[in-house]
Amino acid sequence: MSSAGHSKFLRPLCTLLFGVAVLLFFGLAYPHHLHYQEQYQLFLFDRTYVWEIVRLPGGVADLLGRFCTQFFLFAWVGALIIGALLSVVQLLTLQLARWGRLYGLSFVPSLLLWLFLLDENALLGGVWAVLLTLLASWGFSKLPNGWLRRILLLCTIPVLYWMVGPVCVLFFLLQAPRPKGAAWWYYGVFVLLAAMLGILSYCLPVPAERLWLGIHYHRYQTVVPVLHWVAVLSVFVLTLIARTCHRWVCAPCHFIVTFLSFLLVAVGMGCLVWNTSNFKAEKVMRYDFMARHQQWNRILATIRVEKPKNQIGVTVQNLALAMRGQLADHLFDYHQNGIAGLLPDVERDATSPLPTAEAFYQLGMISVAQRTVFEAQEAILDFQKSARCYKRLAQTNLILGSYEVARKYLKALQKTLFYRDWANETLPLLGNEEAIAQHPEYGRLRKWGYNEDFYFSDHVTPEMLESLYFNHPDNSLAYEYLRAYYLLTGDRESYARLLLHTSMTR
Amino acid sequence: MKRHIRPYFLFQAAVSLLLSSCAHHPDVPASSREAKCLPAIFPDYCDVTVPCNIAPLNFMLPADQYEECVARLTTPDGRQQTYGEGVKVQIPESEWHAMLDVSKGKNIKVEVWGKATNGQAKSGNEEKGGWMSFNPFEIHVAEQPIDEYLSYRLIEPSYIVYDYMEIAQRNLTSFEETQVFNNKVSCDDPQGQCINCHSYQNYKTDNMLFHARVTRGGTIIVNDGKVSKVDLKRDNTISAGVYPAWHPAAKLVTFSTNLTHQVFHTAHPNKVEVFDTASDLILYDVVKDSVSIISNDPDLLEVFPSWSPDGKYLYYCKSVPLPEEMRDKDIRTTYPKVQYNLYRRSFEISSQSFGEEELVYDAASADKSVTLPRISSDGHYLLFAEGRYGCFHIWHHDADIVCIPMDQYTGDALTAETSSPIDLTLFNSEGHSDSYPTWSSNGHWIMCASRRDDDNFSRVYFAYFNNGKVEKAFLLPQEDPEMHVTLLKSYNRPEFMVEPVKISVNEFSRAF
Repeated sequence: MSSAGHSKFLRPLCTLLFGVAVLLFFGLAYPHHLHYQEQYQLFLFDRTYVWEIVRLPGGVADLLGRFCTQFFLFAWVGALIIGALLSVVQLLTLQLARWGRLYGLSFVPSLLLWLFLLDENALLGGVWAVLLTLLASWGFSKLPNGWLRRILLLCTIPVLYWMVGPVCVLFFLLQAPRPKGAAWWYYGVFVLLAAMLGILSYCLPVPAERLWLGIHYHRYQTVVPVLHWVAVLSVFVLTLIARTCHRWVCAPCHFIVTFLSFLLVAVGMGCLVWNTSNFKAEKVMRYDFMARHQQWNRILATIRVEKPKNQIGVTVQNLALAMRGQLADHLFDYHQNGIAGLLPDVERDATSPLPTAEAFYQLGMISVAQRTVFEAQEAILDFQKSARCYKRLAQTNLILGSYEVARKYLKALQKTLFYRDWANETLPLLGNEEAIAQHPEYGRLRKWGYNEDFYFSDHVTPEMLESLYFNHPDNSLAYEYLRAYYLLTGDRESYARLLLHTSMTR
Repeated sequence: MKRHIRPYFLFQAAVSLLLSSCAHHPDVPASSREAKCLPAIFPDYCDVTVPCNIAPLNFMLPADQYEECVARLTTPDGRQQTYGEGVKVQIPESEWHAMLDVSKGKNIKVEVWGKATNGQAKSGNEEKGGWMSFNPFEIHVAEQPIDEYLSYRLIEPSYIVYDYMEIAQRNLTSFEETQVFNNKVSCDDPQGQCINCHSYQNYKTDNMLFHARVTRGGTIIVNDGKVSKVDLKRDNTISAGVYPAWHPAAKLVTFSTNLTHQVFHTAHPNKVEVFDTASDLILYDVVKDSVSIISNDPDLLEVFPSWSPDGKYLYYCKSVPLPEEMRDKDIRTTYPKVQYNLYRRSFEISSQSFGEEELVYDAASADKSVTLPRISSDGHYLLFAEGRYGCFHIWHHDADIVCIPMDQYTGDALTAETSSPIDLTLFNSEGHSDSYPTWSSNGHWIMCASRRDDDNFSRVYFAYFNNGKVEKAFLLPQEDPEMHVTLLKSYNRPEFMVEPVKISVNEFSRAF
């Protein structure tokens, strides 16, 4: 086979290798980052929801990003989606120029987007924005020069801006070398784009800077996603290099050179990806994931291998120990953060309260769990809702007997892909006191709930646990937590009183 | 100033118009069995009295019991039209307003048929499934219109943390809803921004205000259409301005200043308690940007100022002293004993001076607590919310709206026994919170925020008021009648307006 023939065969193989690398990375090394992403959105198959997204600049890319993110509930599916998207970005980049010896550079934008996605707050809509822009550029490159092209350029700029947001500037930049003699026309389009943004910033109820930097490429409204923009601009810069040096770049070369250029970029950027990855955060997210799915045995197996030291890890570790009746007996076998490791004070962020809320829920502190989950959801920085939180809010309202409120959350979940079945199964329970009483989880938690009313705020007191246990001595979890609380605070008197009470009642 | 945002929504409006012009006019079922009861429609519009300019009263049958619904509306001139698609009855605005026009002071007869689902038929409730015909009901069309606009804050009924919220305005003659402001546009801090307490002078919007808290906080004041942000926290006040009330004639705003706290119940259905550990009253001069103290009793709590329509009296609520033995105790334990009475002070506009305090309504004598007073535009009636304790009745299940004729007040404090309250049985809900009462500018419509539907998400209810007689309350109509079931937001602080806010969101944001 000739060198050209080898190259033809090699390129799809390299793309495939790249896609598989992304798949394996997110599937094996970073799965809980995907779970984390999924739990901070609620994708609804609902006209109003879709309209609210697409009516803003960048809305189509945002919608596609959110649509794909719902599949992150299953990490391997999420990894496959990311692998496919980044591979398509590479393939589209490849179409923009004749890369020849610099073939490996066509992977750089995808690798930069990979780096961007290492941030748990980077949103997939940003990747879709790049992909759609490249797709438009590729489609445009097929058009012949002339008036039709110019008219289409004029029309495409605002449409593309509305679809993908300011990333569409890449489309504009990629057209730069094309007009040649008709530069006035090209700069006219630039003026049009600037004028359009000026008008939009005056009309749309969105901060002006977001119109220029992107409304929803990143969860933090105030963060400029630098890596994302570097990836976007890299497409232009690298294409410019390939086009400028096209004689040298496209000189005949052995396919090994092509492969080496890929290998060089892949290894270099791969090392960068690995070193930039936040595996500490991945571990924390893993604990949160296991608590969410009530994988108590898996948590115990995990903490035996590596004892967690971070707050979320310790909270989940103690919850799992308590769920298996081992908390008080094995309390000091593991790292503890004092009483903050049992039921930490509720912070005003979207992440740390959720494992604590799981503990509140399992203990039977349903109204406390409800408030904690609600506050966590309200703290999501991009104003999205959370399917995980909706599900738990439906459960807490069901247990508390607020059936019409539970119905609202369930009706919303009926419009999702992966929570619909659960919502359909749960709806008939509303108002059905007998079925709730017999339900293994809801019945137990309703029975364990508080009989007496008192006020609570952000701090859990021993009285709250005592009230749970002394009113319901079969609340084994409250017993475990109460013992642990006394042990951690050194309150021997209360501990002895608790043991005496237990020996008398059991 | 033009609302530049409008063109942006034009496309949305055009699509809505196109859709509404394609109304479905189904045939009345050829055969049906009589249900011998009124239809269980949502919202419940059976035998309500509505303004002659209200948006279509779209409704639906329960989707879990019925698969189809047909309604036939008959106007007094004998014309009939049918509506219904699925379980929903959605009437095009133009057709509805034509019906209202010919029915002023008369009734629209509504006949409803529902086709039960198979499951329902199998349950035995309806022997063979199929169509049921319900007892007809009437919609009474009053001759008096309602104020054309309503504004409210849309907010999740939250605890402490909040995310997206907006102040919206709704055209009550249609389904058009636009934003007055949202907390996303001027907030660049993860702590977020709380926006609240929108208030207008005399139902008009050239003089209005709302607050922003936390990020870039301050009070946004519109003075003859000009927007500015002011800090109402002064050295001699305990906080910035909180609950506002515009003087009806002068550029003066009364605020309460409050040190507010929240606690949460573990078992009580009231869920949240909001209380003040201190609160006073201040007067803000918009022109001079000056703040003066009206009332700042260190031991008692003054709150919820409200002007009489002639601007001669300032009404407000003030707490009753706690028993001696409770005064030094933690407010969280004594709070259920805190009760408010209703007071007023005369006001001399030329000297901007207040008269002596008068006790108008002694709620505590009946073991009650009164909040949110509002005097009708003719000055003859007083509305307020009343619960057993506290000042934040929207979380109190026992809270109801009370209306008393002011001609009963001769200088001696009225009580539950002496005030001859108007019968509001058809307006209040049983066992659910009804709060934040308001009058329309013509005094013929009263409105409240109520949690009667689910005890959590407040909705706006209206009722017809005529010569001391109040008709059945009805829910704010929506284009999609299911919207009130699915919307996970509360309608907070509903206020009537006779015109829309003309300043755009972006113009407001430039004041920050």
